[in-house]
Amino acid sequence: IIDNIPLNGPTVNVLASENFIHQSMSIIVENAIKKATDVREKVCEWRSPEQLKELLDLELRDGGESESEILQRFKDAIRYSVKTTHPHFFNQLYAGMEPYSMVASFIIEALKPSLYTYEVAPVFTLAEEAVLKKMMELIGWKDGGDGIFNAGGSMSNMYAVNLARYRCCPDIKENGLSAAPRLVMFTSQECHYSISKAAALLGIGTKNVYAIPSDERGKMIPSALEEQILSAKSEGAVPFMVNATAGTTVLGAFDPIDVIADICEKHNLWLHVDACWGGAALVSSKHKHLLKGIHRADSVAWNPHKMLMACLQCSAFMVRDKTSLLQRCHSARASYLFQQDKFYDVSYDTGDKSVQCSRKPDAFKIWLMWKALGSKELEQRVDRALAMARYLAEEIKKREGFRLLMEVAPVIKERMMKKGSMMVGYQPHGEKANFFRMIIISPQVSRQDMDFVLDEINNLGKDL
Amino acid sequence: MEQASLRDLNEPLIDHAEGQFFLNEAFKIIMEEVLSNGTDVKQKVCEWKEPEELALLLDLGVRETGEPRDKLLQRVRDVAKYSVKTSHPHFFNQQYGGVDYHSLAGRFLTEALNTNLFTYEAAPVFVLMENEVLRGLRQLVGWTEGDGIFCPGGSTSNMYAMNLARYQRFPEVKSQGVWALPRLSIFTSPESHYSVKKGAAFLGIGLDNVIFVKVDDRGRLIPEDLDEKIELSKSQGAVPFLVSCMSGTTVQGVFDPLDHIADICDKHKLWMHVDACWGGSVLFSKKHRHLMKGVDRANSVAWNPHKMLVAGLQCSALLLKDTTNLLKQCHSANATYLFQQDKFYDVNLDIGDKSVQCSRKVDCLKLWLMWKAVGSMGLEERVDKAFIHARYLVEQMKKREGFQLLSMVAPVIKERMMKQGTMMVGYQPLGNKVNFFRVTVFSPLLSQKDMDFFLDEIERLGKDL
Repeated sequence: IIDNIPLNGPTVNVLASENFIHQSMSIIVENAIKKATDVREKVCEWRSPEQLKELLDLELRDGGESESEILQRFKDAIRYSVKTTHPHFFNQLYAGMEPYSMVASFIIEALKPSLYTYEVAPVFTLAEEAVLKKMMELIGWKDGGDGIFNAGGSMSNMYAVNLARYRCCPDIKENGLSAAPRLVMFTSQECHYSISKAAALLGIGTKNVYAIPSDERGKMIPSALEEQILSAKSEGAVPFMVNATAGTTVLGAFDPIDVIADICEKHNLWLHVDACWGGAALVSSKHKHLLKGIHRADSVAWNPHKMLMACLQCSAFMVRDKTSLLQRCHSARASYLFQQDKFYDVSYDTGDKSVQCSRKPDAFKIWLMWKALGSKELEQRVDRALAMARYLAEEIKKREGFRLLMEVAPVIKERMMKKGSMMVGYQPHGEKANFFRMIIISPQVSRQDMDFVLDEINNLGKDL
Repeated sequence: MEQASLRDLNEPLIDHAEGQFFLNEAFKIIMEEVLSNGTDVKQKVCEWKEPEELALLLDLGVRETGEPRDKLLQRVRDVAKYSVKTSHPHFFNQQYGGVDYHSLAGRFLTEALNTNLFTYEAAPVFVLMENEVLRGLRQLVGWTEGDGIFCPGGSTSNMYAMNLARYQRFPEVKSQGVWALPRLSIFTSPESHYSVKKGAAFLGIGLDNVIFVKVDDRGRLIPEDLDEKIELSKSQGAVPFLVSCMSGTTVQGVFDPLDHIADICDKHKLWMHVDACWGGSVLFSKKHRHLMKGVDRANSVAWNPHKMLVAGLQCSALLLKDTTNLLKQCHSANATYLFQQDKFYDVNLDIGDKSVQCSRKVDCLKLWLMWKAVGSMGLEERVDKAFIHARYLVEQMKKREGFQLLSMVAPVIKERMMKQGTMMVGYQPLGNKVNFFRVTVFSPLLSQKDMDFFLDEIERLGKDL
């Protein structure tokens, strides 16, 4: 015993702890998995922030609590959380429950590895490599390329910007942007806002992101892109990158990649395709035409945690390059991780490709799932989701009163949340008033659920 | 043709019973292989295989068709078998070893609930919880107010600090880019984490504008040299804007003299960021918090509970003294599909625009649950114990012969320990010092026996060298 602290045994009673884990797991299975996916249960148990704060007793104190108290807190956290796996959760670009991916997540949490070197995460390093290889195959890069999984699609888009500018002016890494001419990038007005955040963070500046108008379907207008590139050049700026979106956030539109690729080739610009949402169409032979031309991209972002339902986060960034560009652009060669005198092939150490140090093995969540289901099943799910959306669209056309929403949307939203019957997001768009955006992903969702959505909106808004 | 597929839309496509059965069976394997065997001192830390051999064993290629349940469960076993057991008492390789069962339960629940933290409506419990946890951490820093956010790793936290410092000084950088600014310079010690460099490159500031300040023979930043270097940089026409100092350096665990550094930052009006990713946890300990004396004078602090507090990857907090909503102003893009201003609740709770991420994992639950379970006093005890283990180890090493020079010996010993799977300790060179082992000791599972084991094992593995 030193300083009143006994050192001879572990602090933790392993047996009691394992028992605790078993009990927590039972609670998770019962409440966060079984009930959460049950259409007869609520999607959310709405409480106002003040009420919820009181209920949860969040304050952190000096003393600990008993096991039963902790298990009750566990139950409360589940009870008042939104059930994103519920069949009536349509709020975001992720939904549903994928048990194989969840198991992969549990494995990851239990092992808690970090992915920077082969030695600390051998299995996960190889799994990431295998997944990226398959995804690049689906993109159509016959010679393969390079890639890495990131903490979200926003980060993947940032990587694209960073690589594009590094290729254009490699000195930027050492000298910073002040040493370079004013760089300009192009993206559609419908693009994800991470493009803007990327420009700000990377020091390019949001005003140097030129927004290209889109047509009435939400697709980038290529002639407008051409115009703005020429305009930027005439200003003395240096265009370096175009971001094309495959599956825009609000309208789900696909930019015409092939035509945009022609323009990029002509002006020698890096073409990045943000396929975070729409990349899933690549697994479907029926729908992959939506991304026609994607093989011509220099880089692609694709989030399996969206339509493919891998657990959050699962975001891939891929680059069609075989010159270790990713590594060269990001490396800092820290000697406490990337020793060159290791006893295995150090090209398996992926850490220096990243701007992160510790990094979760997110690719494993899609790997186990893919092994369990196979590409054909994934294809079937994507096809089904799209068919379901088409059904919904047709039904809406048939029903009266589903046109104008305006001030009605926030009220209906409030009512559905407080009732806990479903969750659908709304937003304004351009000059359009608020409208609901339905996201259909989960194979657990069926036609009855589509009918339910329309009936429920009708019910909730009857008096409006 | 469309009608035929529509008929299939009447029923859910997947059968949850199968999925849930698989989950139960897989969980049993995880408990046994990872949590029981994985923490058992009689079992191996790792089952070493060469990359090519492992790739074959795992049969990694994904195919058109799926696989039967038994095969998948075997895969779960294989993954567990060939993965490194980071919770094992003899895993000393990185700064995230060990296990805490409360945070583990929190992590499992986080995965099961599968959501993002951008709005109150999407994650009501966790938005409030993150707020409370950040408040608790800030209190330990010595701030009664402030701001903060959880980031995907300490590297990102450090990058945020850099971006905020730049934005506060030159808010026009957000829209106009670095071209609208004079050349900026950053100051840090050569002992700092490499994310300062990566951050400078990523943010468009440039590696060459990261200026390294001298350290003393213990590895601590020398404030007088910092002052000189700042003056020098100014005289060269650059604008110093940030000092990034360390509380717990990566390799040697050294603490920079924060009070003195704060004096210099005050003098020159520079943003002071403390990278306490590793050392921040000493703030829980009345005995050891003096190592970070002066931290409350900083503008920002990065602190990773996934390190010394064993919260599990990832759990990285960025804490700010600022109360002017700087974080949100710096990062916001006001996307209308997420941050509608006409919502039916207080939209200040929608914290998404404080981040540069869109989807962002719930990293606070694991820490909150653990903190609730053992209390601040429980966490204090762990930190104190970790220091005692380290001290014991040092004393023992002094007593044993042959523990001084390692040089070319380290890689060989490393190879042997990996292939035998008896333990994992990292080595690296440092400055002009040769390779040496870096032992990180803080898991609550550790005991004195494990320290003795480490020393015995190194001797055994290196007997013939």
